[in-house]
Amino acid sequence: MAHGGGFGHNSPGGLLRYPEKEPFALKEYNSHYDHIFELMEELEHKGEILIHRITPEHKPVEVFTRTGRIKTIPTNKLWHHKSCGQCGNIPGYPAAIFWFMNKFGLDYLNEPHQTSCTAWNYHGSGTSNPVALAAVWLRNMHQAWKTGYYPLIHCGTSFGSYKETREQLIFNKELRDAVRPILKKLGRLTEDGRIVIPQEVVHYSEWVHAVRYQIAKLYESEGKSKGIDISSVRVAIHNACHTYKMIADDYPYDPEVFEGQRPAASTAVVQALGAQVVDYSTWFDCCGFGFRHILTEREFTRSFAIQRKLKVIYEEVKADLIVTHDTGCTTTFEKNQWIGKAHGMYYPVAVMSDVMFAALACGAHPFKIIQLYWNCSSYEPLLEKMGITNWRELKKEWEDAVNHIAQLEKAGKYDELMEFFKEYDLYEPYSKTASGKPKASATANIPLFKS
Amino acid sequence: MEGHIYGYNLPISEKTKVVPWEEKVRVVEEVKADFRYKEYIYGCLNCGVCTASCPSNRFFDYSPREIVQRFLEDDVEVLYDMMHEYIWACSQCFTCWIRCPFVNNPGGLVAIMREVAVRNAFEATKDLLKPYGRVLLKVMTTGNQLSADMLQPDFFPDWGPKMADNMENLRAKRLAIPFDVGKSVKTAWEVSLETAVEMYTIWRETGIFEMLEKLDPNLYNVIMDIVEENEERYQELTEED
Ligand code: SF4
Ligand code: SF4
Repeated sequence: MAHGGGFGHNSPGGLLRYPEKEPFALKEYNSHYDHIFELMEELEHKGEILIHRITPEHKPVEVFTRTGRIKTIPTNKLWHHKSCGQCGNIPGYPAAIFWFMNKFGLDYLNEPHQTSCTAWNYHGSGTSNPVALAAVWLRNMHQAWKTGYYPLIHCGTSFGSYKETREQLIFNKELRDAVRPILKKLGRLTEDGRIVIPQEVVHYSEWVHAVRYQIAKLYESEGKSKGIDISSVRVAIHNACHTYKMIADDYPYDPEVFEGQRPAASTAVVQALGAQVVDYSTWFDCCGFGFRHILTEREFTRSFAIQRKLKVIYEEVKADLIVTHDTGCTTTFEKNQWIGKAHGMYYPVAVMSDVMFAALACGAHPFKIIQLYWNCSSYEPLLEKMGITNWRELKKEWEDAVNHIAQLEKAGKYDELMEFFKEYDLYEPYSKTASGKPKASATANIPLFKS
Repeated sequence: MEGHIYGYNLPISEKTKVVPWEEKVRVVEEVKADFRYKEYIYGCLNCGVCTASCPSNRFFDYSPREIVQRFLEDDVEVLYDMMHEYIWACSQCFTCWIRCPFVNNPGGLVAIMREVAVRNAFEATKDLLKPYGRVLLKVMTTGNQLSADMLQPDFFPDWGPKMADNMENLRAKRLAIPFDVGKSVKTAWEVSLETAVEMYTIWRETGIFEMLEKLDPNLYNVIMDIVEENEERYQELTEED
């Protein structure tokens, strides 16, 4: 049956919990996934693993998953497991996350002792294996645990891959036995030789979902006072495949979002902010990213994005904005619009993630924080509609700062540059590191990549 | 007619035909020996729900239903043939997985098949992955898969004129982000040297460097030069400490 012990069931260690009655109509999914929480408790009892638990200092918020399980989302004291695609190609994405955390006065840790999950590479090229993927995941989880901060996964693919890797590890002793010696070599087991596994694998969109009413309050107090009004903005939601189709039983569903029949994160925050969520027929389709396709089968990616998503969203529901919650989808949708002009298939619509849109609504600077200059979609009409009518001045302000920095750097005036940054409003807490010791960078000596 | 009487109607390639039967069996058995195989395939109604919702099926001659069916029929010839080009059409979206009434995971089967294809260094795989080399270089040496400097406008003319503006003053733009994100243009974030070195250990211990050596010896050499240099640098730094 779908739910381990039925409604009202609690596992002995409290990791697996269901409400007294179904929160919304449930399908019989024949899922065995939820059982991993009981198995985790057993493995901890046997001394094989240590569960990194969510405690009151993480200010937990409870949500439901597709099976009705209660999932605990930590909202404070978080270790940022950043996304390479977001930091590299959508810099306003992580900046918006940090911006909210600072606004809410939350404690967090952003440090250089993190690798990518390497799952994009795996799904794109097959050049890895489950043992390597598990070792990378557990290495990063151990680092978070060591610092005392709880891991928050920014990327949807990392989140999906980590959920799957955890399931494989818990169900397969052979995988645990294969990965343990590697972790030992890395010094990534506990002192008594246990593997560290987090209680919940948590995606940033789940965090946004958990704090959506706080975000809505900020919009009321700070966004609206700046003249921002999003009540007439039409938003088409694109849920990311790797968040809700990979290990489908571990992502939030909510009675207030399509009566619990569709993934809740992103839609719920847009609803809480009072914008209009518009439904469209291909909501279930992927974006066309395809991992290797966006780089090496590009005609597939753009054909799929344009024909199955952009055209439908433009023609069926006339959305002002596509709200995403993952890296590849955001890039695919914003970068593949312009080329449509060549075929008379230009369907301009703004594209950004839930957290970027929410931050804009709450008054974040569209360029300095949300970094929209990097975005190739037609976002200007959206800014106008939101009431951010001074976006040209804000853009100029940003460009002036960039030019000033570039000139000082070119002229080698580093002292002046340092002085400038003292005045520039950097946000606190500004990147603490776990050891407090500055470390040499792995990339410092590598020439700028050219090919 | 060549190919299967229904479904996989692509002609079996000449290259597949000349491969000894035992070799084809060995490769297919390598896929089935993977511990995930039994978790990715149960029964199959042949209902085609997976294929009907598959994005790759819309634009390629590709069907996840076919893959599942061929495994259940133990159709070694077709499976071996599929492992050369066919499987690379999959977008790895896992729509098939969430929709299959049997909870089969055709996308997961493809992941295993791809991994085995890379491990066996099939010529078609080598050719297919050539343009992907820059991602492999980045991920193997830095621990990051992507960075700002990889989106050079020359590679992406179809992304429009804004791309060229994006790359102008890239470093200054990144310095102007008021948070400590995206500051490095060569990596997504500054990855500490000790972290990158841990990653190298993982690649070595799990046979990924070996996989790479068979796939692309030139790329492998470039990567190993960087890896060894960084490992030496780290060694020196630890000794200084
Ligand atoms: S994972 Fe592959 S086979 Fe499955 S639906 Fe997506 S593209 Fe099709
Ligand atoms: S959806 Fe499942 S049962 Fe139906 S054809 Fe595909 S694999 Fe077979």
